[in-house]
Amino acid sequence: MVALRFLRALSLVRCSGPGARSPSYRARGIRRAAYACMAASAGPRRAWSRALLRKIRRRPGRGLRRPRAVIRRRRPVGGGDPLEVALRRLVPGGGCMEYCRLLEEAADYVKCLAMQVRLMQTIVDSASHVNSID
Amino acid sequence: MEPPRSSGVGIDNSGEYSPEIAETLRFEEEIQSLIHPSSFDGSAAPTGGGSFTALLGLPANQAVELLHDSGAREPLASRIRVGEHPVHRPFHLPLDCSSAFPSNATLVDRAARFSVFAAEGSPASSSGRLKAEPQDSDSPPLDPIPTGPAKRKDTGRSKAKVTAKKSKNAEENTDGDKLPYVHVRARRGQATDNHSLAERARREKINARMKLLQELVPGCSKITGTALVLDEIINHVQTLQRQVEFLSMRLAAVNPRIDFSSLDSYLSAECGPVTVRNGPGGVVVDPSLWPTDATAEATRRLLVPQFWHIDLVPPQLQPQQSLTTWERDGAAHSQLLPNPTTSLFLYDPANSGDTNVPHRTAKLKTAEDRALNL
Repeated sequence: MVALRFLRALSLVRCSGPGARSPSYRARGIRRAAYACMAASAGPRRAWSRALLRKIRRRPGRGLRRPRAVIRRRRPVGGGDPLEVALRRLVPGGGCMEYCRLLEEAADYVKCLAMQVRLMQTIVDSASHVNSID
Repeated sequence: MEPPRSSGVGIDNSGEYSPEIAETLRFEEEIQSLIHPSSFDGSAAPTGGGSFTALLGLPANQAVELLHDSGAREPLASRIRVGEHPVHRPFHLPLDCSSAFPSNATLVDRAARFSVFAAEGSPASSSGRLKAEPQDSDSPPLDPIPTGPAKRKDTGRSKAKVTAKKSKNAEENTDGDKLPYVHVRARRGQATDNHSLAERARREKINARMKLLQELVPGCSKITGTALVLDEIINHVQTLQRQVEFLSMRLAAVNPRIDFSSLDSYLSAECGPVTVRNGPGGVVVDPSLWPTDATAEATRRLLVPQFWHIDLVPPQLQPQQSLTTWERDGAAHSQLLPNPTTSLFLYDPANSGDTNVPHRTAKLKTAEDRALNL
């Protein structure tokens, strides 16, 4: 699932740049595409995937606020434990959850991240492998 | 209360009862004759050789089974129902723990009543059941039903019993997370307030999640202590995020132009049936096995045919194409220039024809829109 989405997104990033595009710009686009595909394939049931997609879509300077009733910041937890605070910052959407849910979401996030990294590594490896064929 | 009833079972008091009860007594005698050779012990021992208490030794589910078995004989039993009530008053369940289980008592009463007929129908099976079942501990079927009195009584129990039941209730607890009631047993010496129970449940949840995380993160199972484990987890997440960054930079550098649409169609053909097979929940787990192999194979398969496209390309286009694209890209690509095979990547969009490219981009754009819209 992730592979399909990611490859499609990759080709899109590529095709949008026959004009002059620096590799860093492309790298940023690829990274954004990677996170978007990861979140999209994880499903809307996960809090981190929803938060991640929201963060990605909100990036193009959107000033218009949707009138949708979104429950955010239900309970800003007073973080006494520096480890917990760090984990909240790392996991997308981790600011509003309880500790228990934070751990659950972190587990799922780690799983999906690992899969995404494996996928990207495979693509790079196979591409460079073909490159090295003489 | 046993002796007067057992004497009532005997022959002497029959004159005091109505003729319906006399029938009952006759049945009781039959039961006694059936049961005595089967020599039941265990939970029925304290009550002596009474026939009904032997039947009361059956666990509740056995009673229900008997109920269902002899469902056809309901009309018969209803006749003697009135007569049996005074006889059943002094009954008590053989176990100590069952002080107030009215539902069980009624169930067992009916079982006692119906087992008369069950014994008639299949003496072997009932005696076999009576032999086997009293040996079983009666606690499992009785436990789930009342939790209020059980909770309060538990603090007075012996530890061995409680720990034995705790292991049974451990499974109930995990089920209890989904049920509206959480049946929790307090350990010896621990408070049974609602607050501390809730806190304990929450702590157990957190510990379970932490264990999951420990399994996910490599090298975390040896570490003891929550702080170190958390530290390791945070480290791992940061490492993964950094890896994503590096890999995206490499991807941007390595392949400036690859036709992914054919790769796309190949993969969709492959994983179409797979995704249909998977439920909505299993998407993350299952594809982790095959996409890496599939993508590796697919990219290799995709990139290799580009060798053939060279023949179709008129040779004068070659230097122009390579120069323009490499000039556009940064210095990162200079290392790839001497490699002749990289120029193959540049040819593909040219080979596929310029007219196809905008069409494909439109198609892919909608695909990505669909991908991003959950």
